[in-house]
Amino acid sequence: MAKLPPLSGIRVCDFTWVWAGPYCTLQLAHLGAEVIRIETSTRPCVTRQLPPWPDGQFLGLNRSGYFNQYNQGKKSLSLNFKHPEAREIARKLISKSDILINNFASGVIEKMGFGYAEAKKLKSDIIMITLSGYGDTGPWNQFVAYGPAQVPLSGLSALTGYKDFPPMHAGFSYADPNAGVHGAFALLTALYHRAKTGEGQYIDMSQWECAMDLLAEGILEYTMNGREPVRNGNRDAFMAPHGNFKCIDWPEKIMDVTIDRWVSIVCADDAEWGRLATAMGQPGLADDPRFKTLAARKQNEDELEPLIQKWTVTRTVEDVVATLQKANVAVGAVADSRMLSTDANLTARDFWVYKEHPEVGKRQHAGIPWKMSGTPTEVRTAAPTLGQHTDEVLTGLLDYSPSDVDELRKLGALD
Amino acid sequence: MAGALSDVKIVELGELVAAPYAAKLMADMGAEVIKIERPGVGDRARIRGPFPKDDPHPEKSGLFLYLNTNKLGVTLDIATAEGFEIFEKLIAGADILVHNVIPPEMDRVGLTYDRLKKINPKLIMTSITPWGLEGPYRNWRAEDLTVWAAGGVCVLNGGGPLHADLPPLRTFGSQSGFQGGVHGAVATMGALFARLRDGEGQHIDAPMQEAIAAQLEMTFEYWPYMKMIATRLGQKPLQPVEIFEAKDGYIYLCCIEEHQWQNFVHVMGDPEWAGMEIFANRLARGVNWDALRPMLEAYVSQRNVLDLYKEVQARRVPFAPVSTMGTLLANEHLNARGFFVEIAQPVAGTHKYPGAPLKYEKTPWEIRMPAPTLGQHNEQVYSGRLGMTAARLTELKRKGVI
Repeated sequence: MAKLPPLSGIRVCDFTWVWAGPYCTLQLAHLGAEVIRIETSTRPCVTRQLPPWPDGQFLGLNRSGYFNQYNQGKKSLSLNFKHPEAREIARKLISKSDILINNFASGVIEKMGFGYAEAKKLKSDIIMITLSGYGDTGPWNQFVAYGPAQVPLSGLSALTGYKDFPPMHAGFSYADPNAGVHGAFALLTALYHRAKTGEGQYIDMSQWECAMDLLAEGILEYTMNGREPVRNGNRDAFMAPHGNFKCIDWPEKIMDVTIDRWVSIVCADDAEWGRLATAMGQPGLADDPRFKTLAARKQNEDELEPLIQKWTVTRTVEDVVATLQKANVAVGAVADSRMLSTDANLTARDFWVYKEHPEVGKRQHAGIPWKMSGTPTEVRTAAPTLGQHTDEVLTGLLDYSPSDVDELRKLGALD
Repeated sequence: MAGALSDVKIVELGELVAAPYAAKLMADMGAEVIKIERPGVGDRARIRGPFPKDDPHPEKSGLFLYLNTNKLGVTLDIATAEGFEIFEKLIAGADILVHNVIPPEMDRVGLTYDRLKKINPKLIMTSITPWGLEGPYRNWRAEDLTVWAAGGVCVLNGGGPLHADLPPLRTFGSQSGFQGGVHGAVATMGALFARLRDGEGQHIDAPMQEAIAAQLEMTFEYWPYMKMIATRLGQKPLQPVEIFEAKDGYIYLCCIEEHQWQNFVHVMGDPEWAGMEIFANRLARGVNWDALRPMLEAYVSQRNVLDLYKEVQARRVPFAPVSTMGTLLANEHLNARGFFVEIAQPVAGTHKYPGAPLKYEKTPWEIRMPAPTLGQHNEQVYSGRLGMTAARLTELKRKGVI
């Protein structure tokens, strides 16, 4: 008999938006939970309004690849809280949910009337999490946080960057998915606790604090030695070479722009360096006193890196990766979206998901980053269109009749 | 009150970051973790530092000490027949095995779920590997940077169009390891929850490459939706969303919504240039960034980070300081929340560490003990749990098994 996914039967009342919260509930949907997103057309999720869109044109709220990536497998319930009837629907949904989640700034969900004190009255063993930027307590708890700003706030930017250059970003709003996946871990531990004790609870998450887990090395450099780590590009204190090297560009331009391509190469020890030198057709470099030992390679890294790039720059990424993996050297493509879309490993592992979507058709989306042997998990559906499941939730789950729903719609409570 | 996972027993075969971080997340929530290290050398994280006074010492590595709180430490060579037998005894009493042994090494030592399942059918085994247990890259060598790149993140970060010659840039630290670890922990917890219902264990294959490729913001979808490629060289469509140098440090300017820009302009004292047509909306500010940037540089360079930050935050504008380690440790908000924790370890001494990533109402996150020294709990585990005699331990030690 086919096994049910782990969170089969668990219902999530999902007030999240943008990226951190939706990335959290995506993990729960991946594990089989019924995730019902509360949305509104008067203030639609930011990601519904952002590119990419098919043909590059914004023609409505259901076409964003950004939204469609992180909301796969979820349901959408559209409510307009200006109407008390809509609030009543949300309260009924909470009373039938196991988890209540939001990623508003601290205090906002309470003002909306769905704080933990209220939620507990509706469902005594509810598990609730707020993934706010700054956390519920502390003097800065009312500050506003946007995804990209959390990376510099966390401390990651001060540590990331080229030598002698200012701090750099991470290139994406890294603190968002990091908060989301940690939040999912927290909810799963709370579910486990509830299963054993019958007891729900509230979880306070600061996205900022959660991101500081990722830079313990930097923080400990400071607490142990009282100094700030020095930004050092792609280099590593214990491995050399350790960097990204240029290869042949993509032959096709995109919008008249040449897209460059790079490869990532690391040698963890002298033996691996020897294998790299041989694979590059320059075995003599292995014993060259400038590069023979890690200490020597670190000392002469400014000379070492151009030597490697001189070899990579006339080759394709695929050629370099194949040659060096054959020589048992740690190498990987610096993969862009085009390379990822045909990546042999991700493709062979069926990582990509293609679900039919009413407005964008079948598009390639990232799927579930794990495989479970006993309780297989799968992306069940494409991301919902706004309000796609309003009728289904109201009549199927919350005991409204079809005529009630018509009435509520006429009223404007279901916008 | 005990941690949420206080009845859960975990065996960890972990190196560096991925599996150790997954096990740490669970250990800090109350799980008992027995961490197995190679005799003599131990976990590679032990040689990475940072070290107090820059004195490299296997018991003083900051990275190791951080990642292995609340764990019992034993040494064991599972590549030997005797070692594997002892490993099987530990597995017999465990709920979860979490490891990041790479597939070629798993083959060499015979580490398979089928084999362990015979000893413990309820075992949950989580394999966090660079490329996954199956697939064409299964046996490929990898380091943290090469997986971060191959997962699709590196290409997004770097010097921008003015510095096209500079390479795609990694994010500081062992980020593939952290993301592999936390995603692996999520799947593991899912399996643990399912086991309450089904009573059965299972095997989880959690590749780091996929954990990274699953979180590329909107960038991956540019290809399937628009046949475009997002790279570090792209112009930002809207501005300002950049790091600027202030009088006493760096600050991140972030005006995404129009009202945020207007509020910032007001904080700047409504300068005349801000009313120019070329800065009229966020897209115009993106297109005319060359003209706007020097204006903002001149203004920000006259301000202190925290003054400007608090002034704009009072108007709901989401700027952020570019925190340094020093400003984090001294931060009034983090300290009021009690984020950093002091941990005393006999060899390395007492230092402050990052604390709880989440605050639970009922089930505490808690440091019960510091990271173990190499083989610190051999006797407690092998004699106390498995009933081995002192003579047997001496013999195993002589053979290099422990």
